[in-house]
Amino acid sequence: MELEKEQAVVNLVKEAFEDAEADVQRARRVRIKIAPNRVFPLVAFLKANGFNHFVTITAVDWIKDGEIELIYHLWSYTRKVHVMVKTRIPRDGGKMPTLKPLFNQAETYERDVHEFFGVYFEGNEKLDRDFILEDWDGPPPMRKDFDTRRFAAEFYGQEDIESDLLKLKIQPYKGKLMQ
Amino acid sequence: MAKERPPKGLKGWAQGRSLWILQFCTGCGAVELPPVMTSRYDMERFGITPMATPRQADLLLITGYLTVKTLKRVIRSYEQMGEPKYVIGFGSCTVNGGMYWDSYNTIKRLDLYLPVDLYIAGCMPRPEAIIEAFNRLIEGIKQGKFNGWIRYKENLRWYKRNQAMIMDIRKWSIDKKLAEEVWREVQEERRKIFEQATVPHVYEYAERISEVG
Repeated sequence: MELEKEQAVVNLVKEAFEDAEADVQRARRVRIKIAPNRVFPLVAFLKANGFNHFVTITAVDWIKDGEIELIYHLWSYTRKVHVMVKTRIPRDGGKMPTLKPLFNQAETYERDVHEFFGVYFEGNEKLDRDFILEDWDGPPPMRKDFDTRRFAAEFYGQEDIESDLLKLKIQPYKGKLMQ
Repeated sequence: MAKERPPKGLKGWAQGRSLWILQFCTGCGAVELPPVMTSRYDMERFGITPMATPRQADLLLITGYLTVKTLKRVIRSYEQMGEPKYVIGFGSCTVNGGMYWDSYNTIKRLDLYLPVDLYIAGCMPRPEAIIEAFNRLIEGIKQGKFNGWIRYKENLRWYKRNQAMIMDIRKWSIDKKLAEEVWREVQEERRKIFEQATVPHVYEYAERISEVG
C-alpha cells in the first residue's frame, strides 16, 4: 500500500485523540485539525512518538471568518513524516497556551507570530519584548486588514509610480516588433 | 567661519586614491562585491579596500534594500565615520524601493535619510558598473564635486526629521538633544499614519484551503 507511514501516523493520532481530524495530504505530509486547548496535549503526544523536530509556527488570517489559523509544523526523523497541527482561534482577543515547556524554540516562533499577527501566547514571558519590528506602534503588519500599499506610500514618502511614468511620458510600445 | 569645502587638487587626488570601504553589507548587492574585490576586477588597484570599522572608513556602500531595522545601524555607523566620507547607493532599491516598493518595512528613497553621492542603477549592478562608479567617484573627489557629509551637517535637522518619521532616533543618533527634540515634533504625524493603516476591508479568498491545495 502506498502512503503507509503517513497512514500509520493518522491512525496513531485518531486512536489517541477522538476529536482530531487527521488526513494524509500527500506523500510525507499529514495534517491534523484540532481545538486550540487540545494542541498542547497533541504536540506532547507527537513528541513522545518520534516527532522531535519542532520546525516552526505559521499563521493564516481568515478575515471573513474572524479567525486566525495557527499551524505548528513538526518533523520526525525516524518516521520521515511532516505533520501540520492546525487550530483556529478568534481574531480579536484570541489566546493560545505557549508550547515552551515542550520545545524551547517555540518561544522564538511565538514572538514572531505575536509581532506579525497579534496573537497572544499565554505563558511566554518574552512576548512583549521587541523582536523583529522595533518601535512598531501600528497594527500587526501581516494581518489582512493592514493596508500595506497605503502605509508604505504615507510612511516612506513613496511617490505614485504610475503618475511618475506619465510625467516621463513612457508609453507602452505599440509599433510592430522586428521579426 | 569659512564655509567647509570638500578637498580638491592634490589633497583630493590623494583622498580619492585611498578610499576605504566600510564593510557594511545589506541586501543582495553584497554578492557583487567579492568579484569586484578579487583578481578579475581587482578594486585594490584603485586603492580601494575593505575596512572593518567605521572610524577608519571613507566610503559607505549601501548594497541594496534597507529595512528600518538596518537603517538604524547604518545611520549610527555613518555618523561615526571620519570626514570626508562618501555614500554610494547600489541598485534600484536605494533609488525608489525597487521590488520592495510597497513593503511596510523597507525604505524607498535612501537620500531622504542619508546624503548619497552616487547611485548605481541596476538590479543588481554588474561589477563593471561598480568599477565605473568607483572611477567616477575618484574623478569627482579629485575635482571636489562630492560634498555629502557637508550637506548632512548643514541640513541635519531635515535629515533627522525624515529619520524620526520612520524610527526612534533617540537611541541611534549621536546628537541626543536634537534627536529628542525632533522625535517629539513628529509624534503626532506618526500616530496619524499608524492609525490610518488599518482599513475595514475584506479581501476575497478561496473558501476552503483544500481547494487551493
